[in-house]
Order: sequence, then structure tokens, then C-alpha cells
Amino acid sequence: MSTTVIGGAPPKPRPPPTPISHLPTDSARLYTHIHPLLLLSLYTYQFPSIVADPVAGLAATLVPLAALQIAYVAVCLPPTGNGTGSGAGNGPASGGAGGEKRKIGEKKKANGSAGKSDGIGGRIIPAVLSVLLSLLVAAPLLTAALVLFGAPITTHHAHTLLCGAHIAFLAAIPLVYVHGVDGAAWRDAVALLLPVDEVYGGLLGAVCGAWLGAVPIPLDWDREWQKWPVTIVTGAYIGYVFGRLLGGTMLKGKKVMF
Amino acid sequence: MDHGEPQPSFKGISAAYAKAKVEKEKQEAQALKSTSADAGEEANRAGEVHFKAAHGIVIAFFTWILILHILGIYLFTSGFLLTRLVLDHKSECASPPIDSPLSYISGSSEPGCWHPKTFDKAIVILVDALRYDFTIPFPADGADETAHQFHNAIPVLYETAVNQPNNAFLLPFIADPPTTTLQRLKGLTTGTLPTFIDAGSNFAGTAIEEDNLVAQLKNASKRIVHIGDDTWHALFPGYFEPNLTRPYDSFNVWDLHTVDNGVTEHVFPLMHPSNTSKWDVVIGHYLGVDHAGHRYGPDHPAMNAKLSQMDGVIRQMIEALDDNTLLVVMGDHGMDAKGDHGGESDDEIQAALWMYTKQPAFGRSSSDYIHPPATAKERPVAQIDLVPTLSLLLGMPIPFNNLGKPIEEAFIGASGDDYQNLAIVNRLTAAQIHRYQHEYALARGIEESTRMSSLALWTAAHAAWDMANTTAHQGHFQSVYSAFSAYQQETLSICRGLWARFDVPRMLNGVMILLSTLVVLAIYSRGTAGDQTELTPALLIHGGMGTIIGVLVGFGATFALTSFAKEHVLICAAVVGGMTGVSSAFWRIRSRLFLPFPTTIWGWMSVGFTLLLSIGFAANSFTIWEDEILLYFLCTFGVVAALSSFRQKAIADRALGCYHSILFIILTRMASLSRLCREEQMPYCKSTYYASANSSTSATWQLAIPYVVALLIPVFIRGYYEGTRSYQGSAIMWLNLALRFGLLLSAAFWTMDAADDGDWYPWLGETLKTSKIVVAIITFAISLGFGYSTFIWSKPLLEIENRAATSTSNVATNNGRTSITILGYANVHGSRYALLITVWYLAIALVQKPMGAGALALAMWQIFSLFEIIDTNKLSDSPIGPVILGLLGSFHFFKTGHQATLASIQWETAFIPLRTIRYPWSPLLVILNHFGAQILCAVAVPALVLWKQPPKKKGLLGDVAKAVGTHLLFYATINLATTMWAGHLRRHLMLYRIFSPRFMVGGAALLVVDLFCIFVAIAGTRISISSSAEVFGFPG
Repeated sequence: MSTTVIGGAPPKPRPPPTPISHLPTDSARLYTHIHPLLLLSLYTYQFPSIVADPVAGLAATLVPLAALQIAYVAVCLPPTGNGTGSGAGNGPASGGAGGEKRKIGEKKKANGSAGKSDGIGGRIIPAVLSVLLSLLVAAPLLTAALVLFGAPITTHHAHTLLCGAHIAFLAAIPLVYVHGVDGAAWRDAVALLLPVDEVYGGLLGAVCGAWLGAVPIPLDWDREWQKWPVTIVTGAYIGYVFGRLLGGTMLKGKKVMF
Repeated sequence: MDHGEPQPSFKGISAAYAKAKVEKEKQEAQALKSTSADAGEEANRAGEVHFKAAHGIVIAFFTWILILHILGIYLFTSGFLLTRLVLDHKSECASPPIDSPLSYISGSSEPGCWHPKTFDKAIVILVDALRYDFTIPFPADGADETAHQFHNAIPVLYETAVNQPNNAFLLPFIADPPTTTLQRLKGLTTGTLPTFIDAGSNFAGTAIEEDNLVAQLKNASKRIVHIGDDTWHALFPGYFEPNLTRPYDSFNVWDLHTVDNGVTEHVFPLMHPSNTSKWDVVIGHYLGVDHAGHRYGPDHPAMNAKLSQMDGVIRQMIEALDDNTLLVVMGDHGMDAKGDHGGESDDEIQAALWMYTKQPAFGRSSSDYIHPPATAKERPVAQIDLVPTLSLLLGMPIPFNNLGKPIEEAFIGASGDDYQNLAIVNRLTAAQIHRYQHEYALARGIEESTRMSSLALWTAAHAAWDMANTTAHQGHFQSVYSAFSAYQQETLSICRGLWARFDVPRMLNGVMILLSTLVVLAIYSRGTAGDQTELTPALLIHGGMGTIIGVLVGFGATFALTSFAKEHVLICAAVVGGMTGVSSAFWRIRSRLFLPFPTTIWGWMSVGFTLLLSIGFAANSFTIWEDEILLYFLCTFGVVAALSSFRQKAIADRALGCYHSILFIILTRMASLSRLCREEQMPYCKSTYYASANSSTSATWQLAIPYVVALLIPVFIRGYYEGTRSYQGSAIMWLNLALRFGLLLSAAFWTMDAADDGDWYPWLGETLKTSKIVVAIITFAISLGFGYSTFIWSKPLLEIENRAATSTSNVATNNGRTSITILGYANVHGSRYALLITVWYLAIALVQKPMGAGALALAMWQIFSLFEIIDTNKLSDSPIGPVILGLLGSFHFFKTGHQATLASIQWETAFIPLRTIRYPWSPLLVILNHFGAQILCAVAVPALVLWKQPPKKKGLLGDVAKAVGTHLLFYATINLATTMWAGHLRRHLMLYRIFSPRFMVGGAALLVVDLFCIFVAIAGTRISISSSAEVFGFPG
């Protein structure tokens, strides 16, 4: 996550990035609260098998995790592109809520009266694409970061890679979905310049949770669950849920200060 | 790296240079001086005086801090690290400590050395953690508690003691804390008390070098067989019959049966009549009870099963025992309610001792004593008492350092009235104790007053002895027995006072001193506004005056407070005085003080890393894995630095910051591949520092590392200089030639060292040894001789270049046709000072093993990367730089093959440029090796605030003082934390292995870093800034 596109900063001044809100539909409003519960339930359900055999357990959990994240972004989040999705998009609108509303209006116009199902169908493709991007770009980067932070270099490759993939799926899928491949937005994301929202808060939470997850590893408690990388993944899940919650509510619109 | 166009305005300077150019004068210093107005020169001279005075005061202030650190550490250590001198004396069979009574003269172990022996052979069974109350029946006279799983499970000991009092006895067996098996085995074989450091013993190994029972048996050509816990082999390597001995790993606490079944399997064949001639003493060490305790706790069916199993084993042994063999069953310690041990609670120290023989050899002095004591509080014997008892029973001399006394039941005879024998053995033992005490007092210089009471008892006992011999009455011998036994008791309690008692007031006062010094340092370096140099004089004068007054008052107080040691009172008074003085100074400048509370992410990180590390030292796991934690923190810093670099406005800053942050992370991770694992990290750690985990020589491929370093490091450093065109003047000569040559020589040294060690070229003989020493001396001469001279007399690394007018910004045009460029202007201070880092780098690199040279080279590279990170993120005022240097130094401490254990000290570095130990050089070399990484990072601290600063910037010295103060604050916090935890956990199971060594490393590192910060870093700052000031003038 520390090395993303540096160049490509457009010379023209951009409007300041605004926090992202979930879609103003009833299903989005509802599912955005159900989603973290589903995630935690999935993880809790899988936890014994992850502890027993981290590689098999994490690999088996990866697919339902991706499915949950796809469902979440498709139902709740504005997709990138069409000059709509990204809060840092090119539209002249600067007011967050107002802009969002207008964009949704545009979308409805564009889609005509095709109805919700079609809209969701149209969002599945970018959602799947963001899964692919997360898997191919974010996961290897996170794995490299894990190794740099002290994960074993010569052994446990599958463990580390799966751990990286889990964090990537949690943290990166929603972000890729809303920001696409907008270089400027991503530079802001890396520089911690984006305003905190549900999506960005989830990323910060997952990363901080994973960081804290390393704390119990050295303790001499002789517990099964202390094995690599169970605590890191657990920390990421918990951190993600907390970060999402705080980012969507209390800390919404705040910025990280150095 | 190739950025660094100097931006600051320097009109005055460039004008001066323009003038100088006109006058064809290239010596810029001359030019500046010759063209300066008189007034300017006057101001400059005043500035110089002011600078030098301010510098001296800063040095004095930090020296005052150093003194406070020394006092605090000394006071704590003197209360905490109680030491006992290990005497090398061995008792000899032929020379009893006192002339024998009844003309018993043997001098041979066959009939018994000092006293006729009772048994030829012995089987000693150690049931680890056999607590006394496991062995006696429950309920003991009508107690209304319900029986636990551990009750009544091993009744055989009690039954035999009651039913056959002449063949067996059972007694409470009290351990001296710490109740860990290793310490207990030392006590059970040497008869001495455990202390923190057995001074004089071999630090590197665990083998017992003191006189002990096993060594005495070995000396007398007795064949000793050991079966069970392999701790014995660490303590007594090579003492046991190799073909009969069966060691088992004691590490796996979860395994209750492997060791026990192994012991049982191998011990009974030995007891078979056909095999009894093959050995003299068998030591069997069962671990199952201990492991059951650790795993399940005592009140668990597994414990019941285990004890029943032991009961069966002992019954079987009684069956198989022959007539002239003594059977001993004992516990080395007990266990607490959770089944753990190590501390000093009653449950942990109360073990059981049972002796059995088929001969009617034992007795009781009273018929009341036939029943073993109902609780461990009645008639207990000390574990050290086993040493003289077994020695005399087997006809061995009593080990020289023994402090125990013979057990009454074993010598009083079957009828229970042989007080003459009891008096004789007690007299022998007391005489040996007396001989030991005499030698100890000679070697250590114990005050006569502390021995007064015991000497009086000694004289009294002798008088009783003479009296009894003239009258030969049993009643008199009883009083002789009690007289000698009183002497032994008194001596033991004196020794316990000397060796085994923590002096808590001293420890507390030491911690208070360290804490208050920390507060002063924190306010000084992070809680004051403005230039540090303006505040230092007031602080120094008040603090210094306070200290002096404190000493005077304290001197008076020593007469009033006679219950405390003089130096204790004096130190406390001096510190209280100093603190009062400094507080008054802080009060006077209170308007410039603020709470040193972090406000930025960098401040939070600095505080967070330091505090997390400090809190972690309370847990043995975090202490063990400190190297990995440091890696984690350093990488975290690198990532945050990379993120922060993305936030920079200037594209150059952004790119450069990102590049160096990522480089910093990768270098950290590369360095982390060099590991020397401590025992506790096994099996999750693989040592790479040496050729293999069991070796302390480098692999052949590792010899290439220093050569690679010699080729690359000068190039990399040059890169950092060229970024600001500072690769000029002396830097070329030093970096390109001398440093490279010195590094090559140090690489050659290690190759020659390996050749010498491995005897690759036997025909070279002594030549190789001589030449490697010469090479080492030349390398030191290059570094500390030539290098330091270069650093002291070098001009600032500047060059003036004439060229046709171009559009570059840092030129002073002359009629628009030609221009002058001042090369190296952008980093005058940093590049000049950093020479000092490379000088010390060379000296430290020589004393590191090849793998360490690689790690240190990475450290060097990281340090320069850090300068760039700090500069591009504009953090020179932040605490993060000095704190990261502290983390980096601590990290590379591990990466240069060290651990916080005494065993990891690389003593052999004392011989790198020497043939024999020579003071003070040998200890200095070991320090340079041990704390090399911390020293390098400490020397680098001033460069954090000098790197790429404008030449005429004001208050640089104050910035350096602030940075150095922050750096010391890091080490002082770590030291305070490790000190507090070591004091708090002074009865912890892992005190000796983990907390105490970490405390010692923390204290030593603080003092070493103090010294280098003051006398190398701050002193070097003066040279560096003065040199730049000759060109640019002293900032007013």
C-alpha cells in the first residue's frame, strides 16, 4: 500500500475530495448495517477452521468474503466512473450531500426506468473488477508489506499471501469500487489526505487492526490461535468493522492530521 | 538524491564571493575575513566567544545528567545485583579443615576422607517439585478440609519413616529462592546460596565451577550415572559415565511421561546385582510431577496419578536396593497453588527429603521425632544441608563453599544418642565453613564487625569441644553439637544477609533518581520554547549549586542517619539538592515552559514507540522478542514516513522522501536477516550470525560480506554527499580513499582471523596472528587517527566554480558573463559533521564479526536515509529523528550478534588488536563491539538537525542539544523501565534469565550513549560548526 502511482497528477486544480456516503436507497441504508454483522459472523464461523489450518481456512473464507464485499459495494456504494462515483470526481459539485443527490438523479435518468435490479446488475461488473484489482494489486503489495514488517521470508508463503488477500479484500475492494483507477484519488488515499468516510475509515481501521493484531503473537500463552497469521487477520476484521462504523458516523468528513 | 539546489538567500555571501573573484582570491575564508568590515569582525569574534561558552555549558549540563544517571544506576544496582565471589578453592581429601578427633586419619576416600563413611554407593532420586505436604498423610490431626488430589498419593515415604525409623527418615526440605531447578541444583551440589551474579564464574557457560559434590565424587574416581532432566549436563558437562547416562530434554512441559518412563526404564537395570559394580552413584531426575503441576496444577487427577506412579517406583526401588547403598528421594522445590514455582512463597520452597537404607543407620534424638513433622514449619532442614550430609555419608570431603550442616537423623546413630559422632561431624563441617569464611574474607574484604558474632560462637564452640574431650561425657558432646551448629546458623544468616537480600530502600532511591533525571531531561529537551543554549546556563548553575549544597548537607546527615550507609545518604542528598536547584531554575523560566505533550503524529509515534517498548519489558515474551518488535516499529516509522512524503507539496521532496522511506524499510528488513537467537526464542528463530546455531565462527561465505561492504558503502555515502555537491575537499580523500582502504583492511582482518582460527595455512604459523594484529592496529590508526584529524582540520566541504552564466539559481553574476557557483552550500553543516559518523563507523566496523559488519553497513546506510527523510518531511525539530536513531541503535545491537544475555557478549573482540588483555583497551574494545550500533547512532544524532540546514541558521547548537537530549530521553526511559521491572519482578521465575540481563544492558547502554553523546557528538558539533563559521561567520 505504500507504493502506488506517484505520477500523473493533473496540473489543473481539483476540487477538494469529499466524503462518500452510501446510496440513499432503503436497501443500502439497511445493508450497510447488516454487512459488518455478516462479515463478523462469517469470520467467527470460520475461526475454528482457520485456527486449525490457517491456509485451508483462510482460503475457504476468501470466497465468501469476496461475495459479501461485492454485495456490499453493489448495494450500498456509488460506483466509480461516469463522472459520478468518486467523491473526488470531475464534477463541479463541491457540496457533498447535494452533489451526491444530483449524481443519483443523473444515474436514474441515464438508466431510465429500468429499475433497481438493472442498476445493481450494472454495478456487479465494477464490483467484480474491484475484486480482481484488489487481488492482483493490493494483495501482493500488502503481502510484501507483511514480509517487510517481519513475516517469515522463507516459509509460510501461503499464510502470508492469504493474510494479505484478506486485508486487501476488506480494505481495498470498496475503495477501488468508489475511486476506480483515479490516480489523484489514490495518491490522496495513500497520503492520508482523503476525508474519512465509511469506505476510507474501513481501510484505515483494517490496517490499524492488522497492525495491532501482531501484539499477541510473541506472548508465551501457548494458544493455538497465536499462530501466524490468525491474529493479524482477526485484527483486520475487527479493525475494519470499527473503522467503517466510526468513519461512517462520528469521524465522517474528518481528515487525518500529521 | 540529486536534488538540493540551495534555495536560501545568501546575498551577503555571494557578494563576498563575487568580490573575492574579482581579487582572484579563492580562499573563501580569507576572502571573507579580509573584506569584512571591522565591526563585522568584532561581532564575529563575540559570536565565537559566545558560541564556545554556550557549547561548554551544554557539555557541562549533559555531564551533570550523566552523573545523575551514574548515581541512580549505582544506587539501584548496589541494592539489586548482590554478588558473591566464587572462590576457586577445592576441598581435598587429604587435608581436613581441622585436625581429626580420636586420631582418625585417613586422607583417602576408601574408608572416608575426613570421617568414616557409612555407605559405598548411593542412588539419588530427584522428584522435581515434590512438595512436602504431598508426602504426609491427610487429614493431619482432624483438619476439616477435604483432601485434594495431591494428598495421600505417595504414602511410601511416610510409612517407611514411621515403621522403620532406623532405616528411613522424612523431613521438610527448605529451598533457598529462586526456586528454579537450575538454581536449586547449584544449591544442592555446592551447598551455597544463590545470588544474582556469582562473580568470577564463567559468564559464557552454565557449568558449575565452584567446588561441589559431583566434582568431589568425580575426583575420587567414583562413577556417576545420570538419568533424566538434562539440566544436569549443562551444569556438569562430562562428569557422568557416558555409556550409562541417559539425558532427557526438560523443555517440553506438556509431556508428562517421556522423562519419567525413561528414568524408570534405565534405573532398574542398574540396580540389578549384575550391574551394581558398574557405578557408584546414580542420579535420577523425574520431571513428571513438576510438569503435571505446570500443566494442570496440583489439584488434578493427573497429579494424583503421577504421585501414585512415583509411589510405586519408590516401593520397587526399596525392593531392589542392596545393603550398602543409600537411597535418597527429594524434591528440589515445591509448587504454588497453580503448580508453578520460582518464587519464595512457602508452597514453593517446602520440598521433601527422604533417606532410606537397609542398614540400621538412622536414628532420632527423641521418640517424638519418629513421626515426620506434620507441617513443613517443624524441624525443617535446609537443602544445602544435603551437601555435608551426603559428603560425609559417602566419605567425601565437604565442598569448600558449603554452608549447610549435617542432618541430625543421619548421624545420631540407631539408638539416637550418639552425640559424640554428631559433634564430630558438626565440628568438621563448621571448621570447613570457618576455613571458607576466612578465605572469603581475605578475597573480598568483609568487615570484621560483620563476622564478629560468628567468630565469638566459633571460639565458644571450641571451648566446649576441649571441655568435652577432657571429660568425655555424652551430655557435653550434646552441647558441643549445639555450639557448632549455632556457629553454622549464624554464619549462614550473615551470608544470607550479604548475598541474598535485596536492599529495597536503595533500589527505590535509585529508581527515584533515574525518574527525576528523566523528568528534567524531558522538560529540557521537549518542554521549553526557544533556544536551548539560552536556558542551559541557569539550569546548570542552579542544578550544580544545588548538588554541591546537597553533598554538603548530606555529609552532615551521614552522622545523623547512621542506620544507612554513608554513600547512600550522600547520593540521595546530592540528588535532592540538585533537583531542588533545577526546579528553582525551571520556576524562574516558567513562562518558557510547556507540557511536553505530543501534538503531531510524529510526537505521538515517538512517545508511543518508547512507551510501548518500556511497558513490554514487563513481560518476558516482549523482552525476548525485542528484536522483532524493533523491526516492527522501524517499519511502521518507514511506512508513516512514506505516507507523509506523499503529502509534501514539492515534487522533489515527495519523490525523495518516498524513495528514502521505502529504502529505509527494505534496509531494516535486510538487516533483520542477521540474527543471533537467544535460547528462549527457540524453536521460532534460526541463528544466521554464525556458521551454524552451535558455532561462534563465521561461515566462509560470510567472510565476503566485509569486502562487499568496503566496495559499496563508500559509494553510497558519496551519493548522499553528491546530492548537495558536498563531495569536496577532504571528503574525497577520506571517503574515497581512507574509509574504503580501512574497510578493506577490516575485511582482510576477518579473513585472516578465520584462516588463523581454522588453521588453513599451518605453515604460516605465528606470522598470520602477528599480521592480523598489525592490520587491526592500522585500521584503528586510519579511523581514530587519520579520520579524526581529517574531521578536526577539514575545511567545510565547499567549492567555488566559475562558469559561463546559466540560468541556475545559486550563482552570483558578474557583469552577466560569468558566474560563481558555491558547490556544497546546501549542506555545509550536515556534510561536515557527518564525516565524524563515518570515522566512528570504521572503528566500529572493524570490531564486528563479518555478519555484523554487514548489519552495521546497513545501519550506516539507514542513518543517511533517515537524514533525508527527516529533511524532506521537515522534521528536524521533531522528536522522531532522535527516537528513531535510538530504535535503530537498539535494533542493530541485535543484528550485530548480540542479545540481552551475558552469554552473547563477544569477549574475544578484546583481542582484535592485542595479544593479551591490556587495560583499559580490552574492556573498551568489548564495549565498542557490544554497543557498536548504539554508539554509531548516538554519534549520528547532531546530523539530524544539521543536515541541509542553511549555513547561517541561528541556534543550531541549541537544536543539537535538544536532539541529543531527546535521544538520551529514549535510552533513559528504556533504562528506567527495565530497572523498575527488574526491581518489581525481583522474585520472578525469569529474573535471572531475562529481566536482570535486560536491566544490565539498559543501564550500560544508557551510560555508553551518554558518554558518546557528550564527548563525541556534542564535542564534534563544536568542531563542525566552528569550521563552517570560519567561512560564514558565527551566528550572532
